[in-house]
This record gives sequence, C-alpha cells and structure tokens, in this order.
Amino acid sequence: MRALRKKKLGTPVLAVTGGKGGTGKSTVAVNLAAGLSSGGLRVMLVDADVDGPSCALLLGVKLEAGEEAKTFLPMIDEKKCTGCRKCVEICPEHALIGLEGEVPRLFEELCSGCRACQMVCEPRAVEESGKAIGTIYTKNVGGIRLVAGELKPTEPRSPVMARATVLHAMSELQKGGYDLAIIDTAPGTHNTVAQALWVSDYALAVTEPTPLGAHDLRFILDLAEELELPVGIVLNKADVRGGLKDELLTIARERGTSIIAEIPFDKEVFHSYMTGIPVVKKAPESSAGRALKYLVSSVDKMLKGGEI
Amino acid sequence: MKEIAVASGKGGVGKTTVAASLAVLLNSRGVKVFMADADVDAPDLLLALGGGKTVLSMEVEASRKAEVDNKKCTGCGKCLQVCPFGAMVEASNGKATVVTLMCEGCGVCRLICPADAIEVKKAPTGTITVEETKYGFMCATGKLRLGEHNSGHLVASIRNLARRKARDMGSEVIVIDAAPGIGCPVIASITGADYVIAVTEPTPAAKRNLERLSRVVEHFGVPAGVVINMSGYSGDFETALKKWVTHELGFQVLGEIPVDHEVVKALVHMTPVVDFNPEAEASKSLMSIAERVRGEVL
Repeated sequence: MRALRKKKLGTPVLAVTGGKGGTGKSTVAVNLAAGLSSGGLRVMLVDADVDGPSCALLLGVKLEAGEEAKTFLPMIDEKKCTGCRKCVEICPEHALIGLEGEVPRLFEELCSGCRACQMVCEPRAVEESGKAIGTIYTKNVGGIRLVAGELKPTEPRSPVMARATVLHAMSELQKGGYDLAIIDTAPGTHNTVAQALWVSDYALAVTEPTPLGAHDLRFILDLAEELELPVGIVLNKADVRGGLKDELLTIARERGTSIIAEIPFDKEVFHSYMTGIPVVKKAPESSAGRALKYLVSSVDKMLKGGEI
Repeated sequence: MKEIAVASGKGGVGKTTVAASLAVLLNSRGVKVFMADADVDAPDLLLALGGGKTVLSMEVEASRKAEVDNKKCTGCGKCLQVCPFGAMVEASNGKATVVTLMCEGCGVCRLICPADAIEVKKAPTGTITVEETKYGFMCATGKLRLGEHNSGHLVASIRNLARRKARDMGSEVIVIDAAPGIGCPVIASITGADYVIAVTEPTPAAKRNLERLSRVVEHFGVPAGVVINMSGYSGDFETALKKWVTHELGFQVLGEIPVDHEVVKALVHMTPVVDFNPEAEASKSLMSIAERVRGEVL
C-alpha cells in the first residue's frame, strides 16, 4: 500500500489523529507546530478536520479571505441537450432526473462531481459550473504556515473537502521550503480521516484512558495498519483517576507500537484553549507544558533520525 | 413516535454521555425508549450503556468499488487522469490499480477505459446490529468499514431499522447519538428528527463549532436546544455563551452539566452517570435536562 502512494514530496508529513473526538488532537498538533517552529524548523500546520476546525482558534488567530474549494457541478446547455437520458442513466448518485426528450433536472446536493454525465454526453451539452463546498484559508502565524479547510455548513461531503485541503497543502509543500507538515485530522475512522492519513508518513494517535478512548484507538490503529502507516500513541489526560492505562499499554504492545508521550490533566491546557496561546508558550513549565515539550523533542529526534 | 438526535459540532464534548443518560432516565420514568448509535466510525454508545446482547445483525452493501482486470489493462493511464477521488494509481508493473479506500465507485474510470478492463462492483459498507441493553431497551448500532465514504447511507439504514423495530415494539421515542461534526452522517442523523440536542462546552472551539452545527440544524428545520457540558470553569465566557445561544442562535439552553469527576468514573465503569451515581451533581443536571426535553418533545 505504501508503495502505491504517489508521493514525491521530500517533506515529511505527520498526522495527528486518534479515533475518539475531544481527546486533544488539535491541542497536540498546535503545540507540536509551535514547539518545533520555535526550535527553528519551518512547519506547516494543516487543519483537515473540515467539519470542526479549531487550529486557528487554538493559535489565537482569525482566518479571513480564504479560497473557495469547488467541485464539478454539471450545467446542461438546453440548446444542445437532445434529451437522450444517457447522463441520467450513468449518474451513480442519481443526481440527474428526467424523462426521454426532456432536459434533465439536477439535484445539486446529490452530485459528487465525478463528471460521468459529461463523459457520456454525445452532443457535449454538459458544461462545467463549480459548486463551492467550503473554504481553504492560509495564514502565517509566527513561524507557522497554517492551511485550514472548512466545510460549508449544510454541505455533506467532508471527505471531498478534506481531500481538497490536503491537496492544497501538498502542492504548497511541493514547492519546498518546509521541514515538516503536521496534519490535524477529524475524529473517527471514515474517509475524511483516511484522506489525511493517505499522504502522511507517520501518525500520532491521541487517546485518553477511558473505555471509549481505548475502543476507538483500536479502530484508528486498524486503519493505520491498512495504510501501512507507522503510529505512536500519545496518552492525554493520562493521570485520570481510575483510568485504563494498562489496557492502552496492552493495545500498544499487541499492535507493535508504544505510548510515546503522556500528557497529564492540567488546567493550563484549558487556559491555553481559552486564550489561544499554545501551552508550550504560555506555560512551558507546567506539567502539561513539560510533557508537550518532551513530545516536541521526541518528534524532533524522529525527524532527524529519518523515522518520519 | 418521536426522534431526538444528540449532536455536537466538536467531538468529545459529551454527546454519548448525554444521550445514554437521557435514554436511561426516560426509560426509568416509564417512557418506552429505543436508542440508535449513529456515530458509525467510532460507535461508543453501547460501551457507555454497559454493553448489549446482539438480537439482530446484518451487513449493508451499499458501496461500489472499481476493479481493474490486470490482463486487459494496457497501462494507458487515462483512468488515472479522470478519477475524481485520486483512487487510481499506477502499480509497479505500469498498470492501473485501485486504492479501494479512496474509490467512491462512480465508474468514470470504466467509462474512459478503452480496453474495457474496469468493472464496478458492489462492496460492503458496514454492519448493523440491534442490541438488547441491560436496561431492557434496545439499541441499534453499526460500524462503518474503516476509511469508507458512505457513512450517511449507513446512518440512514440504522435509523430505518431502529424506526421499524421501535414501531413493532411500541416505543415512544428513539434517542439518536450522532457523530461529531456537520457532514453527511450528521445530516443523516438530524433530518426528519423531531428535536436536536446540541451538546457543547464553554470553550471558543466548541462555540465556533456549535455555530456551524446550528446552521445545519436550521437549514433542515429541526427545533433544537443546547446543553452546556463541563460548565463552571470559564466564568465570563460561559455567561456570554449562554446569552449568545439564546439571543444569537435563538436556541434555548436546556441546562448546564458541571465538571464532575463522577462522569469520568461512570465512563470507566461503562455505566451512564445517572445510574452510576444518581446523587452526583452531573446526574442532577441531567435529570432536569431530561425533564425539559420530555416537556419539549414528548
């Protein structure tokens, strides 16, 4: 599978993922970006949680003037259309409806942008119009290049928006000038997440020591395995009383990976979350700050050792 | 029969805790409850309910995947150019091969292939089961295949199955635990529902994503109320959040659930907090929320 990835980027890509929602993916991604960039690395941070983006808020910046991400949407030229219904029959999403001899009607929300209608139309009556499914924002924040994708509310196609965001980031990376890209993924294990993992060289799975955290960690490790993507586990809220750290250690051992950092529960993380200043900057000597700095140095070592 | 969907823009704010507790409370007050876990790529509801006994299980085969016949493929590369999902790649032998995870099965590759080497076949989307919980009520749940696209379809299948079974059993309400976010599975969870409970927490990121969710909820015309979880820590921000929810979003605040260690303990013990410790502060809030929801919907 790895051999199939058409990636000649030359820049390492690290995904921060985890399965369950709210385990601290964005906190880890933002602090890694801030820590590594203060250490002199040129870092791109990609927010690919297009349903629920939060990197900009966690960095305390406002995003403005983004670029619309568009997918193909057919526009049928009524003069050219012969009403042959070939497009209606071929459309895999049943987004085109019409009787013989009629100009088909389009149900926009069903269209996946695959262009099958355009390919089968003999009189070339299917023209292209774009459908905006979201916005891609870019911004330089301190030393970090932020690329953030946001799905337009009411638009269902998160995987397509995640893909557009990742492709935008990768094309910027390809021009060079970066030492590392960090992708903050959506929660879960669906295609929106897979889009981000597909272009990555290494993944950090952020989890918490609860049955739900453990359950969803297994799923994300399965997905990473299918993609032949190496994973390190980051245990957040590690010291929760009665937590299931042993179960997580067992999962890690079974899957041939390990817990590479443990972040204790610390109110500084919450303060950082409220104020939009990463913990490694706001409270570097707090218990979570030290744990995150340790993670920053581990990732830095992995980068220098060519592991990522 | 009514359907209540518990959703949130941001993940990990307590949807499953709220959904499980609401169902257990309604059930204990004599309301005939049915549950549906619509978070098909991280289905945790049964864990929060202490597990279940499978009474029904089925496969859903709603996906399509392209397949390349190696013998017929000439390696012309046309399919690589037209695939809108980046799912066609060149294998080491120069021929086209499908990355199944990326393939949406639209079939444009089949249309363009001059060698007739591509077929689009039905493929599994995931599984659905109905489970009997220790509280006596049923829970329909499902698991999307890893990395799959068709989560909305699987959610719709779970809701249909839940509706059918709930009707047969004479249930009065289906409580749906939705996925985080605002995309396809969430839209499939809230369309046609009678009420949405939007769970949030008093942080800027959760507020922003509640706003995004509210736009989806409004678009589909479903009445909604907001639950503020993990309250009591952010003072002014929380006061402002409540005002904003009421005046700007136009939703009512159904209640606030304080930060309470009993919630975490209950999670670790795989029991809804209202059952684990009914005297806990969080449980008391959940009880008053359940009463308000009951008044609004049932």
